[in-house]
Amino acid sequence: MAGEEMVRVAVDQELCIGAGVCELLEPEVFELDNDIVISSVTGDGLLPRARADVVVDRCPSRAIAIVEEEL
Amino acid sequence: MAPPSAAAVDTPNVTDPSLYLEGIPHDRFAQIRATPGLAWHPYEDGGFWAVTRHAEVRHVSRNPELFSSAIGHTNLWDLEADALEARRSLIDTDAPDHTRLRRLVAGAFTPKNIRRWEETVRAITGELLDEFVAQGGGDWVDMVAAPLPIQVILTMLGVPTDDADYLVELSNYLVEGTGDAQSIPPDAFGNTTELRLLPFNSPASHALFEYGEGMRQQRQNDLRDDLVSHLVQAESEDERMSRNEYRNMFHLLVFAGNETTRTAISHGGMALAAFPDEWGRVLADPGLIDSAAEEILRWATPVMHMRRTATTDTELAGTSISEGDKVVMWYASANRDEAVFEDPFRFDVSRANSDHFAFGGGGPHLCLGAFLARLEVTVLLEEMAKRSIRLEQTSEPVRARSNFVHGVLSVGMQPAGGTN
Repeated sequence: MAGEEMVRVAVDQELCIGAGVCELLEPEVFELDNDIVISSVTGDGLLPRARADVVVDRCPSRAIAIVEEEL
Repeated sequence: MAPPSAAAVDTPNVTDPSLYLEGIPHDRFAQIRATPGLAWHPYEDGGFWAVTRHAEVRHVSRNPELFSSAIGHTNLWDLEADALEARRSLIDTDAPDHTRLRRLVAGAFTPKNIRRWEETVRAITGELLDEFVAQGGGDWVDMVAAPLPIQVILTMLGVPTDDADYLVELSNYLVEGTGDAQSIPPDAFGNTTELRLLPFNSPASHALFEYGEGMRQQRQNDLRDDLVSHLVQAESEDERMSRNEYRNMFHLLVFAGNETTRTAISHGGMALAAFPDEWGRVLADPGLIDSAAEEILRWATPVMHMRRTATTDTELAGTSISEGDKVVMWYASANRDEAVFEDPFRFDVSRANSDHFAFGGGGPHLCLGAFLARLEVTVLLEEMAKRSIRLEQTSEPVRARSNFVHGVLSVGMQPAGGTN
């Protein structure tokens, strides 16, 4: 896995409005619960930094953040 | 809310609804965009900051803690407190009310769930286009642009599509209400409510509230798998929304669910007719349909502005904004910002930049129906391409007298040839 830095993303479920943009962009990482319509991270939540930056930027309610930690 | 006396005395007027009978006053917006800082625009007995550049519209839209949707009103004029409460919808709320209300309907409109409606949208679109071709054309709004989105949203809501014409008629009166001339009397549709308490000050809102109330009562004892039932359940059983929130939500879903995409399709048809070479490129390469749909949305800008109110003293583009000032995001201008869109007045079906503000400038008020509108416009283009329909415009459009919605009331179109 040369080159790309991986980062972990997290969803603030208080802020999520259920627009589903994250699920559209990164279906492997985000999933909306169909009843409560809130996004959560499935699996380990790892994404290449550039893609994580896009999904953070596109979330309409700023509910997604990169968890800065040593990976 | 003291208007700054020195600022921008010469700001060209962009609020006179009659201007919009000739189309968006793009020359005026270009002049405001080119002026450094924010322009102070007089309005009624006060005024507002006109935010016209893409970057600054984005800033206002994405910082709801600085620029509130819940204070004053999201339209240009302020509402009295009781009127604001009576009329408050998803549009006129901040978190946490906005988050609560949005979540009640968000599930139906996620990209994943919207895709389930594709075959429904395709069937409705195909029928309308076949009829349009069979008739040799006619009023594009009446035959295609209006019926497509209203039939889809009513199907999602669970409202009988037989009532589509009536609900489109009400929507047209609501559009009038955003302008300065209402063609129906205050007591139309049996209305007895003071107009200031009704969305768009329109008696048609009373009629739409009544209709929504009828639907609520019907569904209360007969819950089905539709959006109205979902809302009724949220209102009656879970107490996640009040009765007043229900009626405003129903009103919003019917109005915004049909009028906006109708406008996109109206302007889309006009653009395809005005730029036949661009449509020819799509016919030759259907891979361009997605970018063409985005370009139609940018081109149409169905909702031309939304207003926010500053929650604190702040600064934007070097201009000081005081707490309580009105700040108006002109999407119609941002979508022609030459700093962002190369050659912005060119209709380009292969435009790479789709960062338009047809669904707002980002942030939590991102248009709820964005993915539904995209689906409808995309399927329309696919079905037109499948039938090799080329449009020719046969009459001038009749435009809405409104500075808020970029509505087209009618425009004649005919299919050219009908085959390649």
